[in-house]
Amino acid sequence: MTSIASPILKRRSGRLGHKVRIAAGVIVSLIFLFPIYWMVLTSLKQPVDIFTTPPTFFFEPTIATYVEYFRRADISRRLINTIIVAAGSGVLSIIVGSMAGYALARVRIRGATTMGLLILLSRGVPPIALAVPMFLVARKLGLTDKHITLILAYCTFLIPYVMWLMRSFFISLPRELEESAMIDGCSRYGAFLKIIVPISLPGLLSTLIFSMILAWEELLFALVLTNRYASTIPVAIAGIAGDTINGANWGALTAVGTITVVPVVIFALLVQKWLIRGLADGATKG
Amino acid sequence: MSTLDIHNVYKAYGSVEVLHGVSLNIKDGEFVALVGPSGCGKSTLLRMIAGLEDITAGDIVIGDRIVNDVAPKNRNVAMVFQNYALYPHMNVRDNMGFPLRQRRMPKAEIERRVNDAARILGLEPLLERKPRALSGGQRQRVAMGRAIVREPNVFLFDEPLSNLDAKLRVQMRSEIKELHQRLGITTVYVTHDQIEAMTLADRVVVMNGGIIEQEGPPLELYDKPASRFVAAFIGSPPMNFLEGEIADGAVLVLADGTRLQLPAGRQYRRAHVTVGVRPEHFELHETGWPATVSVIEPTGSETQITARMAGQIVRILVRGRTLVMPGEVIHLQVRSELLHIFEDEVARGSRVLHLQEKQYA
Ligand SMILES: Nc1ncnc2c1ncn2[C@@H]1O[C@H](COP(=O)(O)OP(=O)(O)OP(=O)(O)O)[C@@H](O)[C@H]1O
Ligand SMILES: [Mg+2]
Repeated sequence: MTSIASPILKRRSGRLGHKVRIAAGVIVSLIFLFPIYWMVLTSLKQPVDIFTTPPTFFFEPTIATYVEYFRRADISRRLINTIIVAAGSGVLSIIVGSMAGYALARVRIRGATTMGLLILLSRGVPPIALAVPMFLVARKLGLTDKHITLILAYCTFLIPYVMWLMRSFFISLPRELEESAMIDGCSRYGAFLKIIVPISLPGLLSTLIFSMILAWEELLFALVLTNRYASTIPVAIAGIAGDTINGANWGALTAVGTITVVPVVIFALLVQKWLIRGLADGATKG
Repeated sequence: MSTLDIHNVYKAYGSVEVLHGVSLNIKDGEFVALVGPSGCGKSTLLRMIAGLEDITAGDIVIGDRIVNDVAPKNRNVAMVFQNYALYPHMNVRDNMGFPLRQRRMPKAEIERRVNDAARILGLEPLLERKPRALSGGQRQRVAMGRAIVREPNVFLFDEPLSNLDAKLRVQMRSEIKELHQRLGITTVYVTHDQIEAMTLADRVVVMNGGIIEQEGPPLELYDKPASRFVAAFIGSPPMNFLEGEIADGAVLVLADGTRLQLPAGRQYRRAHVTVGVRPEHFELHETGWPATVSVIEPTGSETQITARMAGQIVRILVRGRTLVMPGEVIHLQVRSELLHIFEDEVARGSRVLHLQEKQYA
């Protein structure tokens, strides 16, 4: 019924509706982007320009803060640490989480749904309640301040996240695809690797990206489980913000903040095509 | 190529039993169609043959090997699914070659078989396309191609044509038949379309509620349905049923008191019977069972008459054209050997007594 009525409706409301939608999109984007814009702006100001009232939009930009902070070895090392940890935990959780999600979606196990819900529920535990026991365990095992420790710690919340997302993605795929592959000569594992994974690539990639972003920004576990060697960027920001002796250095804070955001933005732009496809077409029929 | 034997197979999902002891012996090269209403267990049985479902009890034997615990990939069966299940990330060539690559067949042999299948199915111009760039009928052909390159022991089809439009369905139906005649591979074909089953199969198996209601060559099921269920299921337009009580030896008294004369000279075991008449078996005469015409539907080659008889609707199919008008009272006769009498109220498992050697109604 609607399919007959909609072309007429669309034509009538078309132009106006389109404009309203674009306007709404622009406004929402501005609201979300302004803080980032302001952060980048602030990071380029001289310290004297930062606190002028009213705030200035026009000033002589400088990258002095960046230069200063990059000279300090720990920022570039932290950047590398963050990359290692985000990539490591992202990849590990996508491998384990997607297989777990597949099992929950397809294998007939008694109580699979309950199991899935319990794993999801584990994410309801406040991270702070886990951080301290984790620290104690890590210290006993001699694993404090190591990349692998953070990677494993991040997996505790990334795997449930990946598992749950991929589970619903796999459920949307027709079962007959794997069944056909199994009749055609694959084991279930082979069908998963040769058919399901290639089909799910957009979904897997977008989930991987979100996981890596979550790991990239994580503060609490990084704060508790690392101190120098494996410390990440968010810890550095927290350090600058919480510097009670010198007071918060806003220039430094926004510069490091920008350094944190820029790779994410670049990365997201690079894989944009995949991201949108992964989010949009859950079911890959035919 | 191979025989396929199903011995007393049961299937239960948890505590719900959906197949209650099914036995079927399929000869080498035979084409068997499984028909039945939705939910009767056709797909379940087919999936058990393929190895996609566990067998709760009983045996499935392909050739001389019991395959109950054999993985699907080692059963050497090929299956065509209702939604085709083409691998969306592979082009037509790779889709058809996939089962052969899984068996590590030499490249040249894969190439040869895929090209052969493509030629048989008219897919040659489409080999480099992805499934999403194909029409429904083309996808269906690719799915068949993927099945035939295997040269399997058994072909399994689960409603392969039900996603196609009517015209294409008829065309693919004859292509499947031709393919079967050419390859001679043992085939089990699931459908809920009785015409498809009748036209394609050497033998039709009618299932109902998890059991086999009746099996036999298509025309045998049409001529001698063993139960009211089979009678209603096979044939289109469906058989007419008149329920009533037997009185005075050979008179059927319908619910509203109408008395219809039945062929004399046979014994009825029960007072309550159902008489079945196929629409095409009614003949219009001067005398006979009276009915009032309500609708006339001519198609040129034949005319379907809908009439009311004793408060019940009956369908009559006459060859060619008719001068009968709506509102008119017509008289119907049936040759006694074409009259089906079902003596049990329950559809399932009832026995039919044919009036083969009896006289006229
Ligand atoms: N995984 C399952 N768990 C529980 N019950 C099931 C399952 N699969 C099928 N059934 C039940 O088994 C019965 C037979 O199903 P089946 O799919 O074999 O029917 P069908 O004859 O193929 O029907 P259709 O013509 O609709 O495809 C149905 O009652 C169905 O509800
Ligand atoms: Mg079915």
